[in-house]
Amino acid sequence: MGVFEEIKGNYVKELITKGLREDKRGMMDYRNIKIVKDFIFHAEGSSIVDIGSTKVLAGIKMQVGTPMEDTPTDGNFTVSAELLPLAHAEFESGPPSPESIELARVVDRGIRAANCIDLSKLFIEEGKVWEVYADIYVLNYDGNLFDASTLAVMTALKNTKMPKYENGKAVYEERTTPLPINAVVTSTTFGKIGSTLLLDPNINEEAALDARLTITTDGKRVRAMQKGLDGSIADSELDNLVDISIMKYKELKEKIENAVKEE
Amino acid sequence: MANKANAPKLLVDGKRIDGRTTNQLRPIKITAGVLENADGSALLKWGNNIVLAAVFGPQESTPRHTADPVKATVKCKYSMAPFSSMGEHGRSGPNRRAIEISKVTKEVFENVIFLNDFPGSEINIFIEILQSDGGTRAAGITAAAVALANAGIHMKDIVYAVSVGKVGDDLLLDLNMIEDNYSDCDMPMAISPRNGELLLLQMDGNITREEIQKAIQMAKDAGKIISAAQQEALLKVYKNVEKEIENGV
Amino acid sequence: MKNIILPGALISETPIKMENTYLDNGKTFSKVIGLYDPEKKQIIPLEGNWLPKVNDIVVGIVTSSKGSVYEVELFFFGRGLLIGGKFEDIKFKTGDVIEAKVKDIEDNKTVILWDARALRGGTLLSVKPTKVPRIVGRNNTMVEQIARITKSSIVVGTNGIIWLRGEFIGVATTAIKKIEREAHTEGLTDRIKNMLENEMLKFDKQV
Repeated sequence: MGVFEEIKGNYVKELITKGLREDKRGMMDYRNIKIVKDFIFHAEGSSIVDIGSTKVLAGIKMQVGTPMEDTPTDGNFTVSAELLPLAHAEFESGPPSPESIELARVVDRGIRAANCIDLSKLFIEEGKVWEVYADIYVLNYDGNLFDASTLAVMTALKNTKMPKYENGKAVYEERTTPLPINAVVTSTTFGKIGSTLLLDPNINEEAALDARLTITTDGKRVRAMQKGLDGSIADSELDNLVDISIMKYKELKEKIENAVKEE
Repeated sequence: MANKANAPKLLVDGKRIDGRTTNQLRPIKITAGVLENADGSALLKWGNNIVLAAVFGPQESTPRHTADPVKATVKCKYSMAPFSSMGEHGRSGPNRRAIEISKVTKEVFENVIFLNDFPGSEINIFIEILQSDGGTRAAGITAAAVALANAGIHMKDIVYAVSVGKVGDDLLLDLNMIEDNYSDCDMPMAISPRNGELLLLQMDGNITREEIQKAIQMAKDAGKIISAAQQEALLKVYKNVEKEIENGV
Repeated sequence: MKNIILPGALISETPIKMENTYLDNGKTFSKVIGLYDPEKKQIIPLEGNWLPKVNDIVVGIVTSSKGSVYEVELFFFGRGLLIGGKFEDIKFKTGDVIEAKVKDIEDNKTVILWDARALRGGTLLSVKPTKVPRIVGRNNTMVEQIARITKSSIVVGTNGIIWLRGEFIGVATTAIKKIEREAHTEGLTDRIKNMLENEMLKFDKQV
């Protein structure tokens, strides 16, 4: 990012050589994670997730639409992301940036690959299916948008109530049927500085990263992976990170379940 | 305006659809300083409206050549989230309505900000409507004013905004979405409480000369409540810290 | 007793000359959100970005150099320029963090710097410029206390950028952030001293 972040990044590198992180976390520790559901009740489902100071809002909207040609009996699922200009001084308004598109597509990939939403259950009648739109709204940026966004979308989906279908239309004032969810995925994002691997990089650490890797899992299998930046990852490192990702699944999934349960 | 044939009864025995009287505001709650990176911010809940406003500035003008050497340039972006309505998914990207609202909102703040105090700079105002239920431009202006004060921007006053509409012969304060769709008139206003002057004034429908004056007075009376909510939000930022110290946090 | 006032608040029914106020119809009003001290007749802004003044000490980053003229990022809406000459034996590179003094301000937004020295190593912290006076303290007492107890080198820029270097700058940073939050309250000096000593004790125990 800017010259300021570069200086912070240099300091991060200095600390890493001593095995330290600025906020005293362990290399594989998350910052404080907070998940709140139902922030926007006009949406069919919603959630706000804070990881440290990163704040992401996800809203789910459903509407009646036409199926894709090659999947005539499946509903549609679309993920979009906006890095809102209010989230950081360097974010600008305008058409979606490559970063926001990558974010949306990576979150989409994991959820779709694990069949989290049973799209076949969204069939209404010939030529009519339910469409599910997930919108990721980044409200404050302090690193690791991938994990915050996956948690937000997953929690929002688990909390989504479908509108009633009557006389060919969606009745939004009556939403009681939960969206059929088959599986829950979580993502873990790692950074690499020199030969040190760390989990959940904050904005200062992101400025120092050589490589970044996001792994999405359903607890047993890997459902999506995305490497970012221009550094490289060794296969032994990858194996270690997949292991950690699956280990972290339990604690992250529990946070989602607790948020959904709360009244 | 929606088809009147389907119009629900907006006023029955002096009570509106949501139970309010003609002169009653929806509940307003404002929290200032909710975003870490923005220089100033405010989260506002007004009835079912949920609005997030943020301010950056005074900051460097981008692009550089757009800088005005004598005063600050104010930029404003109002936009509605695709999940904000009780209905279908909204389309992304600014539409004409959002562009017009951005413009008139900008003009409100160009009046009250001391632009000459920050020459050559840019002040950016962002208004995100996260949930909408009528009167969003008024909610946006009210939230943005708090965000600007929270950012330390020099201003003459903390502006508030509210709309007044008309159903039949009755003037209704603070229309919600349904009322706005079926009313005979809607008049959003932004007012500087210090001198009562109008900084935003729009209207469509039909209204008489006397009704206009009555509507302005209704807005000013409501303004006392709205201003109090704005002030409370700004002061609470500091009072919360004082409380924490008392509790030994 | 100081109290918090908001933009548009009435300060006086008569015209007074006071920074951060404006006159309208013969009355004086506040322009900012700030602490109003009626005895000292001043308003201390609680929020707002840095507005440069001559003799301010600032911390910035050199972003480019052309001959002996350096562009310095000062993190405000204008630009910073450092002109060499007297200091030809001190050469700065792009990326250097420097401490400098404001010599002059042109067109209200170009800050001319002098008296610069490089600050090597360490890291930077961004704080709200309105909190800097509290972080520095009267006669530098607050910042010197922090630096002494945490054995750090600290330079506080009036522009809200702070440079720190040392093994325990994590503790110094926590103290500075605490002052930033509590700047408007009383009894801060003692609370900070206690906090610093408690935090540093944790390190002694580990040894």
